[in-house]
Amino acid sequence: MKWWLIAWREIRWEVFLDRASLLRTGVFVVIPLFFVVSNRGIPAGAAGDATLIGLALQSVFFPALSGVALIAATFSAEKENGTLVPLLAAPIRDFDIVLGKLVGMVVPVMVACTVTLAAGYGLAAYRYGLPRVAHALSPELLYAVLVLSLLYLVTTGSVTMIVAARVKTSRAAQQIAGLVIALSAVLFAGLGFFASQLGEGWPLLGLGVGLVLADVIALEVARRVWQREEVIGRV
Amino acid sequence: MIEVRHLTRRFEGTLALDDVSFEVHPGEIVALLGPNGAGKTTASRIIGGILAPSEGDVLVDGISVRKDANAVRARCGFVTDQPSLYERMPLRAYLAFFARLYDVAQPDIRAAELAKLLGLDDVLGRKLATFSRGMRQKVAIARALVHDPPVLLLDEPATALDPEMSQMLRGFIVSLRARHRAILLTTHDLDEAQRIADRLVVLYKGKVLRTGATADIRAAGRPSYTVTFAGDPAIARDALARAGIDTESASARDGLTALRFAADDPAVVNPAALRALLDAGLRVVTLAAEERSLEDAYLSILAEARR
Repeated sequence: MKWWLIAWREIRWEVFLDRASLLRTGVFVVIPLFFVVSNRGIPAGAAGDATLIGLALQSVFFPALSGVALIAATFSAEKENGTLVPLLAAPIRDFDIVLGKLVGMVVPVMVACTVTLAAGYGLAAYRYGLPRVAHALSPELLYAVLVLSLLYLVTTGSVTMIVAARVKTSRAAQQIAGLVIALSAVLFAGLGFFASQLGEGWPLLGLGVGLVLADVIALEVARRVWQREEVIGRV
Repeated sequence: MIEVRHLTRRFEGTLALDDVSFEVHPGEIVALLGPNGAGKTTASRIIGGILAPSEGDVLVDGISVRKDANAVRARCGFVTDQPSLYERMPLRAYLAFFARLYDVAQPDIRAAELAKLLGLDDVLGRKLATFSRGMRQKVAIARALVHDPPVLLLDEPATALDPEMSQMLRGFIVSLRARHRAILLTTHDLDEAQRIADRLVVLYKGKVLRTGATADIRAAGRPSYTVTFAGDPAIARDALARAGIDTESASARDGLTALRFAADDPAVVNPAALRALLDAGLRVVTLAAEERSLEDAYLSILAEARR
C-alpha cells in the first residue's frame, strides 16, 4: 500500500497547499455552474433532456480538465526539483510511484467533479424545477457520468504522465498538457453531443467501454515509458 | 558490505562506466574521486539500486542489485548534492513520510529522534521551504538515515555548505564510520577526502584509474624535497643544475630562499644537492621531504591518464 502513502502526500501537501492549482480547479468548477445559471431555458421533451445531460457532462468534464494540468505539473516538477531521486532510492516499486501520483491527483479532482455535478444539479433544479431535472438526470445516468469522468481523467492523466516523463521542464509539460486539454475539450464536446443525440444510455456505455480500453492501453504505455531508467536519465 | 563487480553502464550508446570493480567494508569511508563525467554519480546510483547496471553486478550486504533492487534500496541511505526536499511539508511530516516508505516501525518517533540528532528538533513543525541551505542538507542526511541503513552513499554532500557546516558534516560522517557503517563518499573536495577517507577510488572516463589507501595514493609518485638556504638563488640553481638536479621555486620565510626538486633516489640526490650548495658557498638551513597533498597526487594520476 505504499502507493497510498504517495497519493496521500500528494493530496495533503501538494494539491491542497498549491494555490495556483486550487485557483485553476476553482475556475474549472465555476465555468459549468455559470453555464447552468446563464442558460436561457430548457425546452420540453427530448431536446430539453439533451441540454440537461449536456450540462451534467460539462459539470464533470470541466473540473476533470484541470486534473490533466495538475498531473503534468506534479510529475515534471518532481523531475525538475530532483525530488524524484529520493523517492526512487526508496524500496518502492515503480508502479507504486506511478499509481500513487496518479491517484493523488485523481482523487481531489474527482471530488471537485462530484461537488460541481451536485451543485449544478441543485442549481438546475432551482431554475427549471426538480421534477424536470430528475426526469432527465436519473441517478444511474449521474453515476455513469461520474464514472466516465473518472475514466477520462485516468486516460488523459496517463497520457500526460507519458509526456511528463519525456520532457525536461515543467513549462514544456504544462504546454503539452494545455494541448491535451484543448483537444480533449473538443473531443468531449463532440462525444457529449453524440451521446445526448442517441439517448437510452447505450452511447454512454459505448463511450465507457471505449474509455476503459483507452485506459488500459494508456496505463500500460505509461508504465512502460515511465521507467526509472528514463526518468533518472533526464533528471 | 559493498562489492562492485565488473560494473558497466551505457546510456544511449555512451559508456558511462566500464568494468568498474571495488569494495567498501563496514566501518570504512571510501571516497570516489574523478573529474566531471567520470561516472561517479552513475556508480553510486547503481549501487543504491536507483539505476540498473548494463553489465556486471553490485552486492550490498550480500544482495545482488540485479536480483533484488528493492532489498538493496532498503539497505542504503542516499544523499545527493541537492537536498531535493518537498518544500511545502514540515520537517516532522517529511521525515515521517520517508520513514513509512522504509517501513520504519514508529515513523513519528523516528522523525523526532533524527531531528534531535542533527540539531533540528526545534524546527520540526516548520515548512522545509523556510530552511537555510545547511539545514536543508541536514534534512537530506536525516532522510538517508531514517531507516538506519548499514550502507551510506553520499554524493557531494558538502556542496555549497559553509566551512562550519562542512566541518560539522565531516564529523558526522566520521561518527557514522565509528558506528560500523560502510560509506561511499562521492566528492570533488580533495581536502575532505584526504581528511576522512580511508581508501580512494579514482575514476576517469568510466574506468578505475587508481584504488588504494589514501596515504598510499598520496605517497605514490616521485618524492620531492625542499632545500632552504641563505644566499643568491641564481647561484644555487646554477650549482644544482651542474649536479644534474632540476629545481623550481618554493615559498620560504625569514629572508631565506627555498628551491624544490624531485628525487627518484633520495639517498644519492640529496647528498649531491647539499654538496653542490655548500661548495657554492651557500648556507643551507634545512633540507626536508615535501609532504605530497592528495591534490598533487590526484592531478598527477589524471595527467598520467590523459597522456
